[in-house]
Amino acid sequence: MSDTVTYLRRDAQIEASRFPALLARAEQLAGTVLLGEHGRRRSGMGDDFWQYRPLRSGDSLRSVDWRRSARGDEQFVREREWQIAQSVQLWVDPGASMRFSSSKDLPQKGDRARLIALAASILLIRGGERVGFTGWSLPPRNGDVQVLRLAEALSEDTAEDYALPEHRGIIPHSRAMFVSDFLGDLDTVELALTKAADRGVRGVLLQVLDPTEESFPFKGRTIFESVGGSLAHETLKAGDLRERYLERLIERKARLDHLSRLTGWQYLCHHTDDSAQNALLWVWRAMDGGHG
Amino acid sequence: MIMLGPLGFTAPWLLLGLLALPILWLILRAVPPAPIRRRFPGVALLLGLSDDDTVTDRTPWWLLLMRMLAVAAVILGLAGPVLNPRGEAGEQAGNGPLLVVMDASWSSAIDWTQRQQALEALLTRAERAGRPVALLRLTAPDEVRFQGADVLKTRLQGILPEPWQPDAARMDRAISLLPDQEFDSYWMSDGLARDSRAAMLSALETHGRVTVFEGPRAHYALLPATYEDGSVTLTLRRLRPGPEAEISVAAHGLDPAGNPAVLMRATAVFDPSATEAALALAMPAELRSRITRFEIEGARSAGAVSLPDDSLRRREVALLAGNENREGLELLSPLHFLHKALEPTADLLDGALGDVLPANPDVIVLADVATLSPGEEAGVLQWVEEGGTLLRFAGPRLAASDVSRDGEDPLMPVRLRVGGRSVGGAMSWGEPKTLAPFTEDSPFYGLRIPADVTISSQVMAQPDPTLAARVIAQLTDGTPLVTRKRMGQGQVVLFHVTANAEWSSLPLSGLFVQMLERLAVSSMPASPDPADLVGTIWQPIRVLDAFGRVVDAGNLPGVAGENLMGASLGPDLQPGLYRGEDRSLARNVMTPDMAFEPAVWPDRIAVEGLSRPDETPLAGWLLALTLLLLIADAIASLALSGRLSGARATKAAAVLLALALAAPQARAQEDAAAILAASEVTLAHVLTGDRQLDDLAQAGLRGLSDVLYFRTSVEPAEPMGVNLETDELAFFPMLYWPVTASQPTPSSEAYARLNDYLRSGGMILFDTRDADVASFGASSPEGRKLQELAAPLDIPPLEPIPQDHVLTRTFYLLQDFPGRYASRDVWVESAPPDAEMIEGMPFRNLNDNVTPVVIGGNDWAAAWAADDRGAPLVRMGSGFAGERQREIAYRFGVNLVMHVLTGNYKSDQVHVPALLDRLGQ
Repeated sequence: MSDTVTYLRRDAQIEASRFPALLARAEQLAGTVLLGEHGRRRSGMGDDFWQYRPLRSGDSLRSVDWRRSARGDEQFVREREWQIAQSVQLWVDPGASMRFSSSKDLPQKGDRARLIALAASILLIRGGERVGFTGWSLPPRNGDVQVLRLAEALSEDTAEDYALPEHRGIIPHSRAMFVSDFLGDLDTVELALTKAADRGVRGVLLQVLDPTEESFPFKGRTIFESVGGSLAHETLKAGDLRERYLERLIERKARLDHLSRLTGWQYLCHHTDDSAQNALLWVWRAMDGGHG
Repeated sequence: MIMLGPLGFTAPWLLLGLLALPILWLILRAVPPAPIRRRFPGVALLLGLSDDDTVTDRTPWWLLLMRMLAVAAVILGLAGPVLNPRGEAGEQAGNGPLLVVMDASWSSAIDWTQRQQALEALLTRAERAGRPVALLRLTAPDEVRFQGADVLKTRLQGILPEPWQPDAARMDRAISLLPDQEFDSYWMSDGLARDSRAAMLSALETHGRVTVFEGPRAHYALLPATYEDGSVTLTLRRLRPGPEAEISVAAHGLDPAGNPAVLMRATAVFDPSATEAALALAMPAELRSRITRFEIEGARSAGAVSLPDDSLRRREVALLAGNENREGLELLSPLHFLHKALEPTADLLDGALGDVLPANPDVIVLADVATLSPGEEAGVLQWVEEGGTLLRFAGPRLAASDVSRDGEDPLMPVRLRVGGRSVGGAMSWGEPKTLAPFTEDSPFYGLRIPADVTISSQVMAQPDPTLAARVIAQLTDGTPLVTRKRMGQGQVVLFHVTANAEWSSLPLSGLFVQMLERLAVSSMPASPDPADLVGTIWQPIRVLDAFGRVVDAGNLPGVAGENLMGASLGPDLQPGLYRGEDRSLARNVMTPDMAFEPAVWPDRIAVEGLSRPDETPLAGWLLALTLLLLIADAIASLALSGRLSGARATKAAAVLLALALAAPQARAQEDAAAILAASEVTLAHVLTGDRQLDDLAQAGLRGLSDVLYFRTSVEPAEPMGVNLETDELAFFPMLYWPVTASQPTPSSEAYARLNDYLRSGGMILFDTRDADVASFGASSPEGRKLQELAAPLDIPPLEPIPQDHVLTRTFYLLQDFPGRYASRDVWVESAPPDAEMIEGMPFRNLNDNVTPVVIGGNDWAAAWAADDRGAPLVRMGSGFAGERQREIAYRFGVNLVMHVLTGNYKSDQVHVPALLDRLGQ
């Protein structure tokens, strides 16, 4: 177990090391704002210089920056940048359906999901954010120790086939990241997203799929079983099902996309035969909200 | 056995199994293929999807068909199918004894293997039927004894054809040997027409049914070669007229080294429907004389081989006369009759004896030449000892001289009495003398003596104990006319008369020509008249067997000359090469007057051909087909059920394809690299296996190449890494070899190539990169490794680089050779010990060559190393001093490359003044 943690952490750090520190941008302040190291691009309480502005009525004379004002006739006030830390909450699908890879050359979907999630966490923590899990198992904290805790928590699996997104305990106005294959019940996902949107939480949906799930290259008489074994479907001509299966998959993706648009989230479908870096880059961009 | 056309079945009842096939079809059709269980997370999306086609997924018809075919093939295969079975019913019906009559002549040797197979098949069938079999070979008729076919079968390999034909006498003997009982006959004919066949056939038909067996193969025969108009003419015949055919004929012989070889090959063309084709081979006499046999290529028969004899070899005869300047008296010339007699069959040489001898003629004729100079005599003596024939004619000069008067002249067979004698002339008594019949030990024995040959004058032989043995022709009164003495391998022959008609009428007669022939002075016509050969004995040297192979004659008895050409071939006269006293004669199987026509059989006789297809059991093939079908079925089933994943199959196919294509591609790549390296000056470094070091070396050489490009007229291409084991080194002017303690030692082949490289002017710069920690010679791991690496290399003695070494001035004037480290320990090939400073010269005259190695530890590559934009990769020293050191390092690199490319050019005196000026002296 500890080996897995070590490897996972090492791989994630390797992935994370390729990016500049992630400075997530919070659009709204949460009530539980804690001062952090990263600016909000507006004036407020903080250490870093933001701008000089002319003295307005109501400003106390103490706030005048005399050094700047002495260069001219006007008085200036030195403003500082408002710095906050933000909470980011993760949910990574621990279900059995994620423990699948179609070929021994490809990683399991679950491994890929954890890798991306942890890499993003490291970036976020390095940027001063606080990262934790949804629910109450691991509340958001910052610091390197949190990376260890995250890695450990990520390596837990459940036996059920399709895990449901944990939408409880989401801190209002924070950011969230859901990583799953989203092959289970979509209504729960919808519920979670709506609840999160209600609390002003925005985030990313990362769907991790195996290439065979996208291509369905099966033929002949086949009994399909879910990884956990709870579901089975027998067909006489698997090849005939392909069209309809793909239709359903596309429909599902469209629904996820639609859902994320409605709630202000962002959605990406990632395949395990693609590079994890691409997904991480996308996650970083999405979490950063367009400020790259 | 059931017959279906050409197909028979040994176990026909098994064929009923085919009836089960339709049932099997139905069963197989009803059973769908077994399902595969697959783990698939997307199953959630599949729930509720029903199959369009609710009918069970059936095995596709073509797969069913394949399985059916497999089953059918098994059934058919087990039923024992035989193609073209030889039924017991048929032409050889009957249970009585069977007599196999074989011509067994050279003509049947062409397809003897097929004949043996046919005979074996026949014996097998006779064995099955329990028929006693006897064998009668007409070329060697022997007692006919009926015995079990299995007994005969064991002797099958020993039954061989003979290199002659069954002649009438042997046919008669064979007929007389036929047992007095009923039997069927099976005549394996050689296909040639023969008068004696009819008698044999009727004799066989009185005993029972006769079946004739003939091979369909085209028969070709080669007639003896003749020599006409400067070329060798070969005549080919074929048995039956047919379409145009090209037949290749080879002349075998000894090549100049004495090994058997094909000396010439030519193609004869039979015109359509012609049975004869001629071929003229123009070849020089020297080549002609080396030919040992002509043969039709691919035909294994004695009839397709022709042995040449002396008739192809024209003898070279040198004619010399004592007094030739008698203009206008042609008929009196001593050589006139010799000319006439020899011209058709020999090459005549004229000239002085000294000129003729080096040409090594076969015969030298001295007509009335008395004395030879001592030098000439010695030359002629040696020539005779080595096999020459010296033919002398008497005449007035010889009679008048003292040659061989008191003692026997070495070049005369006998001593001569003074004066000679004249008989029957105007001033003498008596009649002109005639010749006595030749004795048996004379080479002329058997020649008919014309009555009108008379001798009127001659030189007389001195009576002597050896005289009688040397006389080979004498007059009726017993005086010698022709005497002969053997010397070494040659002989000296003296005609006691003149070569013209002055002393006798012998030169006017045909006997004269025949005598010359017997003495091998003139060559024989191609096929000599048997009468000419009467009385001679010919010893076989090499004989032909029926297959046309030339074998040593061993101790076969000699053959009388009259039989040699006249009698028909047989055990006593085998075709081959026969040697007489002085020449050889070939007796070939084919002679020009021999009939070569196809045999014609009466209509009542059934004639079988060899072409009849063999009995072929098909069971094995069918079962193999079954196996193949089953394999195909397995693959197809896997593919159908989706177990054979497309990706995997594609990958396997790709691997196979890559394997097939890899070799040429690799070579093309290699070639491209070689062309690149050869088209520009290319610096190279040895790949050490340490990735980082190799990259640094590459970067270093790139930096140096850039500097060279900017500052000098050397414009190097992108440097290359060189794998010592696989790459060609010859393209590179120098190799940079960074030494690591861990790099592998090259193989001995690589060392061989490195040594070649060093000897052919290449240079290796060894860099131990440890000058910061170890001065040179002190033991560092790299230093020890360098010693190990360089031990097998062909490296001359070394010395630390002297101050006046040409490296110090090939481009820049340098005294330091720093790299990343600035150690002065750089070693080069040592100067010769006698190199001395000349007064007034700044430099010694040192090595004339490029030093093959430069050894140091300054880590030059690191100093030179530059990235793609030209920025240095490795920091050196501190501040400006470091950059200065880098600059000097570059200068050393430039000097080094210049040294490699220009050699000792800067040692040249021409530049001394300028250099002196620069040095401020």
